[in-house]
Amino acid sequence: MMISSPRDIKSINPWQRLLVLAMATFTIAPFAPLIIQSLAFRWAWPNILPTVWWHEQRERSPFPLAWDYVFSPSSRVAEATINTLGIGIAVTLLCLLICLPAARVLAQRNFRGKNQLEFLIALPLLIPEAAIGIALLMIFIALGFAGTYAGVIVVHLIPTIPYMVRMLTAVYQGHGTEAEDHARVLGANRRQIFFRVTLPMILPGVIAGCLFTFLVSTNLFLLTFFIGQGQIITLPTLLFAKISGGALDATGAGIALIASVPGIILLMFTDRFIRSYPLAE
Amino acid sequence: MKTNRTVSPALMQNLRDVAEVMPLLVVLLGLFGGAVVLGILQSFGYAPWFGINEFPTTRYFERLWLSSDFWASLGLTLYYGFAATLIGLVISIPLSIALSKKFRVSRTFAALIRLPLMVPYTVGIALALVMLGNGGLLSRISAGLGLIDDPAQFVQILKTHWGCGIIAVYVWKQVPFMTLTLSAVLARKGEDTVEAAMVLGATSRQIFWRVTLPQIMPGIVSASLICFAFNIGAFEAPLILGGGYPDTLPVLAWRYFQDANYAFQLQGMAVVVSLALVSGIFLAAYLLGYRRYERARGRV
Repeated sequence: MMISSPRDIKSINPWQRLLVLAMATFTIAPFAPLIIQSLAFRWAWPNILPTVWWHEQRERSPFPLAWDYVFSPSSRVAEATINTLGIGIAVTLLCLLICLPAARVLAQRNFRGKNQLEFLIALPLLIPEAAIGIALLMIFIALGFAGTYAGVIVVHLIPTIPYMVRMLTAVYQGHGTEAEDHARVLGANRRQIFFRVTLPMILPGVIAGCLFTFLVSTNLFLLTFFIGQGQIITLPTLLFAKISGGALDATGAGIALIASVPGIILLMFTDRFIRSYPLAE
Repeated sequence: MKTNRTVSPALMQNLRDVAEVMPLLVVLLGLFGGAVVLGILQSFGYAPWFGINEFPTTRYFERLWLSSDFWASLGLTLYYGFAATLIGLVISIPLSIALSKKFRVSRTFAALIRLPLMVPYTVGIALALVMLGNGGLLSRISAGLGLIDDPAQFVQILKTHWGCGIIAVYVWKQVPFMTLTLSAVLARKGEDTVEAAMVLGATSRQIFWRVTLPQIMPGIVSASLICFAFNIGAFEAPLILGGGYPDTLPVLAWRYFQDANYAFQLQGMAVVVSLALVSGIFLAAYLLGYRRYERARGRV
């Protein structure tokens, strides 16, 4: 992976080049009309570009201008953003706390029922989310958990745990136990071993796992929507409320762009962490 | 439990292991297991909190499975799931192979193509609306080319049971996931076997079918399992971009749950359990087929 030196794009055959370019276009191009839509004041069919842009109408009609609305309190975008990030951070920390010890055991020990345990951990990815969400909603309503932050955070653990365990297990497997054994022989206690030896070694993998967990949590719609009961709004649910009618107006486009920002930031700064996470086991 | 000093170190270690796995087990069994058990109980008529307790009754399943609407919904659900997963695989297998050849901008392209993985599905739906809708960009471009002169003439892509919009969103969102999974497998396998095959005179077609594809098969299976399970359980895309009645199963279940009549919730739970059952059957069949394939290749 690292030894081969970079070559020209011509090193792949024309079909592959076409495929790569086509997919890049398919992936990125739809964002262009979204951005235009969010900046348009009048964009009637069949104009490819708006006839009247947003800033041209600032004096005449202060409302509804997409970005003014998005940044005003009545859009609840700020509230949704804070909720999304806060829930994401809480879910990530909780998930890490639960998965890190278990991943060590899974990576380093052999025991009866290990295969079954691994299957159980993968199961939330294989059972349709709607099924889990609706069944859990009943339990949570009975417990008074529905529509609370605690309920949403707990339910976000379900789709994040399988990834976190997988990634952390792979990290532990990659390191073995030799360094810890040396430290133990040299008289370090368990706490010292963990904080001085193990943690520094596995830190890159832990960060990768945390970023991915955060990402899954911030992008989650269905479970938030079901368990949040409309009382906990996050960026995905806010956007859903805006476009559930099947039409996208300028404010909807603005919210869609805001909802993409966390992912775009993560993509730019975390490329090297996310790149080779061990999904494929 | 009290442990005294005569406990052997091995036992101590075992106890510690159990203690370390325990939180995970509690969360998984408590949440996930609880949801499964309660869902099944309810679908068989157990809901004392609504004053309904007919357990065990198969009434809800009978009513559901005997209606043709259910089968239409199931068909649609499976169709969207299969079509999107297949198209995703057909794109992401060659894409991951192309991107595994390191060229100068391959990392940039790989990062660009990864963008959909990072944003919510609802953003994908918004993109589908702005691109594929009758007033969308494709419709405007067709008008610009003189193909149509009214939005209504544009071919209906969204809100049909063909589900092109739904499938497009799934593919858009899942190709990066599949590509990333396959790229991880390819990176681990290295290029040695491919180069060996080349030296031995294999054509590129032979290399693909005989060397690369078998190598990445585990990645293909795991990625397609996860995507298929997600697709048939997805709710927002079929709700917004779908053709309305008959709805896919998750939307159908949600409508039952939104009904003012509580008794319909049990009907909804029967829908949910049926969905999980169908998904389980397909995944098990798929895994079984895969194991047979591996065994035929002498790998297991």
